[in-house]
Amino acid sequence: MSKTAIITFRELKERLSSRSFIGMTVLGPLVVLAVIYLFLSMTATEKSTWNVLIMDKNELFENKLQPKEDPLFAVDFINAFVDYDEFAQNPQFEDYDLSVWINEKVVSNKNVIVSYREKPSEHVQRRLQYIVERRLEEIMVQEFTDLKLQEFRAVKQPLQFTLKDANDPKNKKATQNGWVGFSFGSLIVLFLLTFGMTILRGVAREKSNRIVELLLASVNPRQLLTGKVFGIGIAAIIQFTIWSFIIAVGLWVMRTTLFPDLSDASLVAEAARQGVSEVDVYANQSPFVELLFDQIQYTNMIVFFVLFFLGGYLFYGAFFAMIGASVGSESDGQQFVIPMVFLLLLALASGYYAVLFPGSTAVEILSFVPFTSPVVLMVDLAYGFGEGESWKLYFSLFLLLLSALGVFALAARIYKNGLLHFGHRLRLGQIMRWLKN
Amino acid sequence: MLEVNEISKNFQRQKVLSDISFYAREGEILGLLGPNGAGKTTLMRILNQIVKPTRGHISFGEELLSEKHISKIGYLPEERGLYKTMAVEEHLVFLGRLRGLNKKAAIQQTQHWLEKLGILSWKHKRIEELSKGMAQKVQFIAAVLHEPDLLILDEPFSGFDPVNLRVMRHEIEHFKNEGKAIIISTHNMNSVEELCDRVLLINKGEKVLEGNVLELQEAQTELLFAVTFQGNMLAFANALWVGFEITEKKEVSEGIYEVTLQMRHDNDINNLLQTIMNVVKIIEVTTVKPSMEAIFTAHVEPQKEERSE
Repeated sequence: MSKTAIITFRELKERLSSRSFIGMTVLGPLVVLAVIYLFLSMTATEKSTWNVLIMDKNELFENKLQPKEDPLFAVDFINAFVDYDEFAQNPQFEDYDLSVWINEKVVSNKNVIVSYREKPSEHVQRRLQYIVERRLEEIMVQEFTDLKLQEFRAVKQPLQFTLKDANDPKNKKATQNGWVGFSFGSLIVLFLLTFGMTILRGVAREKSNRIVELLLASVNPRQLLTGKVFGIGIAAIIQFTIWSFIIAVGLWVMRTTLFPDLSDASLVAEAARQGVSEVDVYANQSPFVELLFDQIQYTNMIVFFVLFFLGGYLFYGAFFAMIGASVGSESDGQQFVIPMVFLLLLALASGYYAVLFPGSTAVEILSFVPFTSPVVLMVDLAYGFGEGESWKLYFSLFLLLLSALGVFALAARIYKNGLLHFGHRLRLGQIMRWLKN
Repeated sequence: MLEVNEISKNFQRQKVLSDISFYAREGEILGLLGPNGAGKTTLMRILNQIVKPTRGHISFGEELLSEKHISKIGYLPEERGLYKTMAVEEHLVFLGRLRGLNKKAAIQQTQHWLEKLGILSWKHKRIEELSKGMAQKVQFIAAVLHEPDLLILDEPFSGFDPVNLRVMRHEIEHFKNEGKAIIISTHNMNSVEELCDRVLLINKGEKVLEGNVLELQEAQTELLFAVTFQGNMLAFANALWVGFEITEKKEVSEGIYEVTLQMRHDNDINNLLQTIMNVVKIIEVTTVKPSMEAIFTAHVEPQKEERSE
């Protein structure tokens, strides 16, 4: 085994056995899952069954809402109009959660008013709307046309003017996709900061406890730097893999047990059977659920996340190692972290800018700058690249790795010259001299 | 074994070592002496290839010193550190492997040395649980684990109690008897006299003195004699007159004195005996050799004075 591999293995072992690493590995994804759970709880059904009173004075719906019973709704009909006060106060209606007023002119004005005791979630609203709309379509077909229901659905859509970007006809660049990319980019920044600080503290500690002299008598500074950065980097990848696994399992569990009706599989299946358009189906799902379970291309995002994280980690990690090797004491190192944190925040801000102004000249430039590209490119990737534009992704990755190698070479010089300086005050001139030597 | 030829080292504009040449032979202990800031640590870092010399070259055996000799050199730096959270055995195996041992050999050697120094029961202890002396032993093992041909020890005895000090000395002498070359940097002059065969004294980056310990002591002897006698001190002093100078005197018991004398003019021991034998009863006369501390001070002090002027 090479000396670099021996150092890599030691660093990796130290990280994997440290309590903070184990804690972060388990708690990190649990926090992410808890946040997702909160979001889902807000968009998911609060009640298992909603009691609905349908006020259908003209008995337009013929006491019938849908062919099959929906477990979400227990429906009763009344051929009268009950005003809001009466619905709210009359004990006769106290068991009903919702009232749906089907007015006489609903066929022409398409206006349905729903009153509630406890506001239903967006999900419940959409589902109820979907069911009522389907029933209304049946009535319209029955009453006013000779068409079959399927035929009517095929032609019933009102004329819609849909504006589309000529460069993005599939309208992939919906902002929500950008936020997914931004979330991945933020995760990169979080990992870069966490593991960058681990490198800095590790180097500064080796200096302060003087083991560095013993190590340098056996290995050269480049081997020591490479082993340290690789070892900690592998620990980061292991942590990310465990995070991904726990989050994936967590999402699966949420979808199958805690929020089984989230994705409305029955709705989608039913819609398909009834020939309802795709647009309608998507309109019946919460955007967050849709984003989380249907829109994120996890494989693609994770592969490029790992690649950009590795590039960013080597790039920023070399800077953190430089600081660790330059400072006279561990406490000095904390001060010099501030510029690094500033740079990482700049990367985060660039990602935010890329979400809001995709395709702008500034974003184009920032996507090639190694300090910002790991975040900006994740946003770009989430929005998707047009035909013939994917070279930007690979070129940016190439530039990042090339810059990382350059910074790594500089870091090795600082490392070589700075490691055996103890207790000094760091000056820019001294760093420049170390770089020249 | 090791030959250093006109090594110089500059840090920016500051000259830290200037044309230092010396050698270390198999089966010999070389004492590297010098006041603080003399350049000893830099010299040892150069020997360990941690820093490169600005000028000069070093030969190891028949070859120029290079990375491949790392496994043949053992180093105990003065500023000692270990990874505090690692276990003793794990740490030693790690350092042994960095010095070129394979995992199996590193484990075997660790076991052997822990047993030899009577600390096998510590092998699962974390470094942070060890006392300073215990950690020193672990560091010593790290320096010798891979059975180097050249051992460079910087202040190897600091931090040891007298019992462990004797153990360490014994081990170093054992290495010498096995034909290894040993370089010891220390401020402990008693150790130098007891252990070292030769010394190299450097001051302000320059070589001041080099040679065999006994020869240096003889060369530095300023014809000092210690005389133990019974009789009258005043009569003794009067008899000496101007031919001899009393540098030290003390009454050992009633009427018995011990006096250190320095010869003046061309007087020798015969003249001394002739002068005093009729005045007092002579019990013992011995030649006084200068201590290494005296030699060290004699060579370092004048340079300090020059600098202060």
